[in-house]
Amino acid sequence: MNDKDFVAGRIGMETNHTYFILYFVFINLEDEHASVKFLKPFIQTDEREIIDNILQNGPERKKGEEHLFHRYAYFIQQAVYKYSLSREDAFDVYGDTIISAIEKIIEGSFQRRSSLKTWIYQIFHNKCVDLLRKRTTNKQSIHRTVSISDLLAQFTDPSKTIIQELADKTDWDVLRQKLNQIGDSCRRLLLLWADGYSDKEIAATLEYKTADVVKTSRLRCLGKLKQLYKTT
Amino acid sequence: MEDNLEYIDSYFKGNLHPDQTKQFEQRIANDRNFAEEVTFYLSAKQALKKEIITEKKRWFKELAEQNSSLSRVRQITPVRKLWVYAAAAAVITCIFFAGYILFIKPVSPSQMAKQYIEKKLQRLDVTMGEKDSLQNAKWTYNDGQLEVALEKFKRIVQADSSNFDAKIYSGIVYLRLENYDKALEYFQELEKYTSHYANPATFYHALTLMKRNRPGDKLEAKQLLKQVEQNDLEGKKTAKQWLNKW
Repeated sequence: MNDKDFVAGRIGMETNHTYFILYFVFINLEDEHASVKFLKPFIQTDEREIIDNILQNGPERKKGEEHLFHRYAYFIQQAVYKYSLSREDAFDVYGDTIISAIEKIIEGSFQRRSSLKTWIYQIFHNKCVDLLRKRTTNKQSIHRTVSISDLLAQFTDPSKTIIQELADKTDWDVLRQKLNQIGDSCRRLLLLWADGYSDKEIAATLEYKTADVVKTSRLRCLGKLKQLYKTT
Repeated sequence: MEDNLEYIDSYFKGNLHPDQTKQFEQRIANDRNFAEEVTFYLSAKQALKKEIITEKKRWFKELAEQNSSLSRVRQITPVRKLWVYAAAAAVITCIFFAGYILFIKPVSPSQMAKQYIEKKLQRLDVTMGEKDSLQNAKWTYNDGQLEVALEKFKRIVQADSSNFDAKIYSGIVYLRLENYDKALEYFQELEKYTSHYANPATFYHALTLMKRNRPGDKLEAKQLLKQVEQNDLEGKKTAKQWLNKW
């Protein structure tokens, strides 16, 4: 594809009609990467705004998340039609999709090689298919354990094994129960920390004086949680 | 213990020196209490992440209820589906329309005549090597100089009034020049040459009427085509095809 074609493609995409047709084709290709190899990345202004907001921790992020949720909410109805899911299931899948998308955007996994819509639809589609597959193989009732494997990436194998074995002994229900006993301010602070906010950003959001104060408070809250968990 | 938490926190924030990082991992292997503290740090974070997901899902439900976005979706989706169906219907209609135009729609006699003239009367057969005046006139005709060709054919007729070919070609040139009345004069005259072998005059007479398309022309042309077919005259095959489409 030469520059001339690219420019022509971009001009063509300006019209909603062409835009819709191209997306219709892309979505049905069901391969995010294949769909964009012959076109340069095309992120709409509002999509870029959503991403930028999500990448800024603080009120902008919440705004971005809310915007993202509303932006593609019509996928829910599509899943009801296309995959014959109940509205509740389709809503849950969509919620999972948005949460997963937010995490990936923050991690930097979304490389803008396709539109945000195409990318999110791909995640949504995969989750719908997963749900259907679980249903057909009767795996849905299997108890889902909480895993910390995602957090162990930076360990070497021996350390990973030790931590994983110890984590398997964690009583997750008790831990979550204790989270509700550490007090509101501690809980809010720790939730922001787990959500990827830096101490500086937490300070700005929760109106702490400095990031150092946040760090001290955060570690104290963690200590408190540990104390409560150990006393059970 | 808080000291250890700070140490653990520094490790996960990437604030430790590479040597310290190595020591950190060695301590996990050698100090079970420390390994448990690290595990707790990670488990707490993971439990908090689960809480975040639960809270976000709750928030999404509130957003959906507040903004009724889902009810809007109900309207949007059928419209999008309808668009797809409409596009499919349009394509199918186009296919049927094209099929109708190409295979089913009857062609009018004047269209049949036009197509025949464009296809069959653009060039006249010339005999290579022969350089008589008739061949010369036909070359001129084939070059597209119809008026000049007509003059040449007419001169031949003037010189030899019994020259059947020159007369039939004169009629054809008049037909090409859309001077139908003059063309008809020639063809009607030539129809009387019943003894002439392979006389196409009746066929050309019908063709000219079909092309002229004045009131009554079609009916007369049809009768002439029937004559061509019944009497096995020149142009019988085409006459039969046209009558089938009439």
